[in-house]
Amino acid sequence: MKPLDFITGEIVGILLFFIGLYGLMTKKTIVKTIMSMSIMESGIFLFYITINYTVGSVPPIGQAQEAAFVDPVPSALMITAIVIGIGVTAIGLTMFMHYKQKHGITHWSRNRDQTGSDH
Amino acid sequence: MAQTSRLFHIIRIAFAVIGALVVLFLFLNHSEQLDTPLMDYFTADFFAQTGAQNSVAAIYLNYRVFDTLFEALMLMVSVMEVINVSWANKHAEKYQFEKDDFNRKGNSEIVVRMVGIIYPFVLLIGLYIIVNGHVSPGGGFQGGAILATALITRYLVYPNFDLDLHALEIVEKILFLSIVMTPVLYVFMQIQPADTTISHQIYMVAMNSLIGLKVFSGLSIIFYRFVFYEGR
Repeated sequence: MKPLDFITGEIVGILLFFIGLYGLMTKKTIVKTIMSMSIMESGIFLFYITINYTVGSVPPIGQAQEAAFVDPVPSALMITAIVIGIGVTAIGLTMFMHYKQKHGITHWSRNRDQTGSDH
Repeated sequence: MAQTSRLFHIIRIAFAVIGALVVLFLFLNHSEQLDTPLMDYFTADFFAQTGAQNSVAAIYLNYRVFDTLFEALMLMVSVMEVINVSWANKHAEKYQFEKDDFNRKGNSEIVVRMVGIIYPFVLLIGLYIIVNGHVSPGGGFQGGAILATALITRYLVYPNFDLDLHALEIVEKILFLSIVMTPVLYVFMQIQPADTTISHQIYMVAMNSLIGLKVFSGLSIIFYRFVFYEGR
């Protein structure tokens, strides 16, 4: 098995998910938390879109049956999930702007005087 | 104190790396191929059942239309949240723009000229993808996103806030009502003519157009709110 064969959509999706999880765990900036959530979402989208793919299958359009169809179910699920992801990100950013203007919070911290850190 | 935080940092990195390795190992070695009854059902005879040649459109407009309804609801709720839960609502006096300063702020001449040339083609491909969503790759969501891109390029050329977001929000709510009503009447209650070959096509085009316009207005509202209200 060649090394490039390991770089499939599922594996990259899993790695992206854990990169986002790492960002959620370590970064204390709220904007970076929202970005990490978006990265996790992207990993999930990529995982779902490339799942159940067999080499040589054709897009599920039309009735031509010279080759097997790609599974259309994950694509149809992810179409809605992508738009919902945009909505969730927009909600998070708006709430962040509100909190920042009202309380001056930009970091997840118990010490409210701490305005900046290296994370 | 610094030592413990550094230790926690290393523990978190190790947690993420070990988690990724465990999931990758399980996925590569112990994943089993399940049967795909849904795929077999959806791809068996979707053209005769739904009138769509694109089976993804057949799924999200006919077989699993509940997904689309609640996705539209979700987008509308997020748009309402972006408009209503905003610091700029109660403190509008802080958000006066200097119009002369704002006009063509830092835009290069190349971007302005090229976007002016590209702009109608972006609109055209967005409408094409929406209208042909049921016979070719595409659909309402993608076409709506492309139409919103056209509005964003308009912001690059002409960064002035002359859009009536309130009217756009009302338009989005009316579109959401039609998105709910059309499948309820046509798919659930089966108010169809006897020969459904043409009416299925009309239903697909109408639903794709409604969804496309709704996604377009939702994304445009979110973009313009963020640019002009949350921008400082």
